[in-house]
Amino acid sequence: MSYKIAVVGDQDTVTGFALAGATYAHIHTAREETLAKLNEFFASGEIGLVLITHRVAEELGFDFRQMLRAKRLLPIVLGIPDKTGYVPKVDELREIIRRTVGAEIMVKKEDS
Amino acid sequence: MAMALAVAPTRMELLKLRQRVGLAQKGHDLLKEKMDALVIEFFEVLRRVQEARTKALEQLSVAHRALLMCFAVMGTLETKQASKETKRELQVEISTRHIMGIAVPAVEVGEVERNALVRGYGLHMTSSVLDEASREFERALKLLIELSELNASAFAIAKELEKTKRRVNALEYILIPRLRDALKFIMMRLDEMERENFSRLKRIKAMLEERG
Repeated sequence: MSYKIAVVGDQDTVTGFALAGATYAHIHTAREETLAKLNEFFASGEIGLVLITHRVAEELGFDFRQMLRAKRLLPIVLGIPDKTGYVPKVDELREIIRRTVGAEIMVKKEDS
Repeated sequence: MAMALAVAPTRMELLKLRQRVGLAQKGHDLLKEKMDALVIEFFEVLRRVQEARTKALEQLSVAHRALLMCFAVMGTLETKQASKETKRELQVEISTRHIMGIAVPAVEVGEVERNALVRGYGLHMTSSVLDEASREFERALKLLIELSELNASAFAIAKELEKTKRRVNALEYILIPRLRDALKFIMMRLDEMERENFSRLKRIKAMLEERG
């Protein structure tokens, strides 16, 4: 199946990915609006990948996490940094590792 | 201490319980093996995620810088205008793959990078920095698409891992100890009954001898 790509974020991120060919875009201004738009994206069957900036995801907070838990396999949601390169300190994946594997936190260094 | 199951102390129950313990043990061993395999798979995917992420984020910051350059040279409004004129119909192929019974998405994407002619914005009004910004963003998008696949796989595996772990623990710490306790209870009870019977017989024998 072919799917399209959606971007949610600030003006610059959206402009950039629009230039690259992402079909749907939403510029985040108000929380409710963005949540409604995301709901729309999740419900439509033709979107396979939603890129959302970490900053926006963080602002949406609990409701967004709830939505992530409720969604099915698709669309895939990926957090990306915005133009300032903002990445949250607590990594999602790392958080999951802590929950599943125990109190183990990985520090990885590739020597070669 | 796990609570013992309420069971009738009969030989029949004993046999049934033995069977259940065996089954639970077997299930536990299998699940534990599955968990180990999942952990190995999980760490492998994690390693790849980390690699892909570093690459993608680097490219993304390059792209943002190029876009900033474009804003500066061409003007913000013009750039936005161009982004609205761009053809935006990139498609990705997503199917599901199975890793040990877990459905994970497999994303396939063709060439994301496009020629400036097919992007769709007017060429005579735009500068070459716009082409460059677009190209960098296309590259970033391709890397991000690859990253998203790995990321989604990692999440799916982690979810399954959590579920499996919960099952293993439930078997190991709740069900099996309870069954074992019940087993022990029945055995003690049966032994006790046998002793009771034995002393009863002795007593009867003594009484009969007294009378005779």
